[in-house]
Amino acid sequence: MLTPEEKEQFIRQTPILGEDGQEKLKNAAVLVAGAGGLGTSIALHCAFAGFGTVRIADCDRIERSNLNRQTLYRLPDIGRMKADMAVERIQGVTPYLCTEAVNTVITVDNVLQMTAGMDIIIDAMDNYDTRYILADAAEERGIPFIHGAIDGFYGQVSTIVPGRSACLRCIVPHPPPRTKVPALSPTTGIIGSIQVTEAIKCILGMGTLLTDKLLLWDGLHCEMDTIEITPLKECPHCGECRKTKTEQKL
Amino acid sequence: MQEDENGAEIMKVTVKTFATLRQFIDKESQVTIDTGTTVGELLNMLTATHPGLKNELFDETGELHKYVNILKNGRNIHFLDKLRTVLEENDLIAIFPPSGGG
Repeated sequence: MLTPEEKEQFIRQTPILGEDGQEKLKNAAVLVAGAGGLGTSIALHCAFAGFGTVRIADCDRIERSNLNRQTLYRLPDIGRMKADMAVERIQGVTPYLCTEAVNTVITVDNVLQMTAGMDIIIDAMDNYDTRYILADAAEERGIPFIHGAIDGFYGQVSTIVPGRSACLRCIVPHPPPRTKVPALSPTTGIIGSIQVTEAIKCILGMGTLLTDKLLLWDGLHCEMDTIEITPLKECPHCGECRKTKTEQKL
Repeated sequence: MQEDENGAEIMKVTVKTFATLRQFIDKESQVTIDTGTTVGELLNMLTATHPGLKNELFDETGELHKYVNILKNGRNIHFLDKLRTVLEENDLIAIFPPSGGG
């Protein structure tokens, strides 16, 4: 149940989410995988939307060059662990918010433990190796994975619901070279905001998700496109998984 | 299906490009091609008319950058017949390099 104070806090969004929906968010747990440009935007919006548990994972420390876009950090924070600081900065947004910092590298060995108890994983990573690890964990746990990535003025979002939609490898079968791409605060803000919007809709069962779709943001031309992604039976990852699952059911 | 002035069967496909590729080519264009044209042949046509695209799509040996996504009606050609994928009338070809940063 929402307390009278919580009802007051969310009075501007319960007309669209409903008090039941707000309560679902209060009971929902999200893993924000990465606490950089996307992750700081995502963590903040998850807290303000009213998610009950926000777990933030990142293995890096704050550097001066992060402060053009990683909006939860300030100059005196340089040298601190990102996950610790991000958690500290979002605490107190709601009286019930439970925050957890995970200051370790995400690996195949720890990802299942890291995602335990989570209802959703939001991708805020800067590399596809880890994105694939997280997407596989989401699939194993049967929870949505909200993919997001940026590159300068450009960004992309897709929602992956295990067993129901194209997987991350259907969308990006070959990752781009692992380099430090240009990063701009408005782009991470826009993409992170869209990812949290998808997360809210996933939890509440509202609207239309970006499943089997890739949203592409072009800030340079201020245009947003959505392209259809067809789940592929030829995909060696989800295609084979679907085949195996179907055979098991038969 | 239409015919050109020499009687060869031709067709139209739509090409949409995104992100950095838009520096070199319009966001959306209709391209008239011969029946049986492959994705590889289409890319050669596009890079001939838009030379800046070449480095974005291919490496110095002429191999397609693996990470460039080319979708034929939503299906990544990586899972089809790659550059040998044959195009069909009214196909929608989307070409974009994926974003990778966070």
